[in-house]
Amino acid sequence: MFKKIDLKNKTALVTGAGKGLGRACAIALAEAGAKVIIISRTLSDLKKVEKIIKKTKGSSIKYECDVTDLNKFENVLKKIKRLDILVNNAGNNRPEHFTKVKKENMEYLVELNMKAAFNVSQICAQKMVKFKSRKKIGGSIINMSSQLGRVGAPIRSVYNMTKFGLEGLTRGMAVELAKYNIRVNSVCPTFVETPMVKVFFRNKKFKKQVLENIPLGRVAQENDVSTAVAFLAADSSNSITGTSLMVDGGWTAK
Amino acid sequence: MTKFLKDINLKGKVAVVSGATKGIGRSTAIALHQVGASIIAIGRNINELKSLKKKLRIRIQSIECDVNNYEKLSKAINKIKKIDILVNNAGTNLPEPFLKVKKTSLETLLEVNTKSAFNLAKLCTDKMLKLKNRKKVGGSIINTSSMFGLVAGPNRTVYSMTKFGIEGLTKGMAIDLAKFNIRVNSVCPTFVATPRATKYLADKAFKKYALSNIPLGRIATESDVATAITFLSSSASSMITGTNIIIDGGWTAK
Repeated sequence: MFKKIDLKNKTALVTGAGKGLGRACAIALAEAGAKVIIISRTLSDLKKVEKIIKKTKGSSIKYECDVTDLNKFENVLKKIKRLDILVNNAGNNRPEHFTKVKKENMEYLVELNMKAAFNVSQICAQKMVKFKSRKKIGGSIINMSSQLGRVGAPIRSVYNMTKFGLEGLTRGMAVELAKYNIRVNSVCPTFVETPMVKVFFRNKKFKKQVLENIPLGRVAQENDVSTAVAFLAADSSNSITGTSLMVDGGWTAK
Repeated sequence: MTKFLKDINLKGKVAVVSGATKGIGRSTAIALHQVGASIIAIGRNINELKSLKKKLRIRIQSIECDVNNYEKLSKAINKIKKIDILVNNAGTNLPEPFLKVKKTSLETLLEVNTKSAFNLAKLCTDKMLKLKNRKKVGGSIINTSSMFGLVAGPNRTVYSMTKFGIEGLTKGMAIDLAKFNIRVNSVCPTFVATPRATKYLADKAFKKYALSNIPLGRIATESDVATAITFLSSSASSMITGTNIIIDGGWTAK
């Protein structure tokens, strides 16, 4: 009665797959048996991920593509026959105090974290619903959100805006795509030991503040998040849609 | 290299499951057993406990006890050597319109769903903390809540009151127990094909109400819930605490 995380015969697309959480998710989904389409702006990163997946006897195809380049992304999708899972992960952060947020940073984050996330999931969903037996075999979309999609934090007003937005998108998409048996959920990690966060943590005071806010007293690891994503991608979570899986060590429970 | 997909493996772990004779509790006991845990099943019905024991054959003990009977429960829990996981599942429902809720119904639900849930959680936590290396090996408590722990539904004022309460208890316990590396979460299912819900769903109008509110268009299965509980029990979810997994086919996303 326990449904294993098994993605055999599934094709998954992961954006922002070159580094950090996206990379971890791509490798985890491949470990679970999926064929993984990895997308990133940086070809050299993709090559490294491809190598790791190959080592673990997984299967992947790489496409160098900036997700904010809609036409290019559409062309990538044209080359793909079938898609069952999307990990809508590409995103970024530019921490600045609200009163000092630069216009170009706000625009960049809205462009990437919201507009591109929307476009990528729309294009992928269009592809997913075309598959004839979709209703029977189901599909799953996982948006990479954040605990900051649930609560506010200093110098994160724009990031908060985009991630709260993604939480709204997740619920809206879930309601509309349910009739195709495509489930849509998000994962909301706390700070994860990714290359991006390691840079923030060079600031000792900041690191201390972060750890004080995580009841479990540790930051998350990439595989805490990638396992949660794999759980949501698989039939293990067959009745779960329109919700978020918090991977935050208790940050938002306070 | 780090594994990016964490295994769900409970070998060597001892899991207490209350309300283990029927429905979600029974399925969860089976699921946890399937991934290697030793089960201590608490239930009121000796014949149903025997049937579960017969099914699992090994790594199963049973405690015939009403969770409302504090003295008996406390004695039984004290006799257990080690507890790593608690599935705090025993609960019930007596649907009545708010204006007609009987005093006895209110008292029964508060007794079972709230007070007994608290007491069992406390008794098991005391036992969990006795293990010297608890901080290292961790522990996990999963409270069976409901989507009615998040939203209301007709004839469910008392049930919602008790399940909203469980959501609060979950978060509070998570914060107090984080320092011992004991994680506390809840699962919030929609209607599940259990013996109890099957009775409700025999009413055509009720079934229509239920299905029309679930975007995925189907009720959940016992194994959907058992799988989520198993995920929360294992170190695959080691950064997840103080939150819930909502297994509601999108009910609360609307």
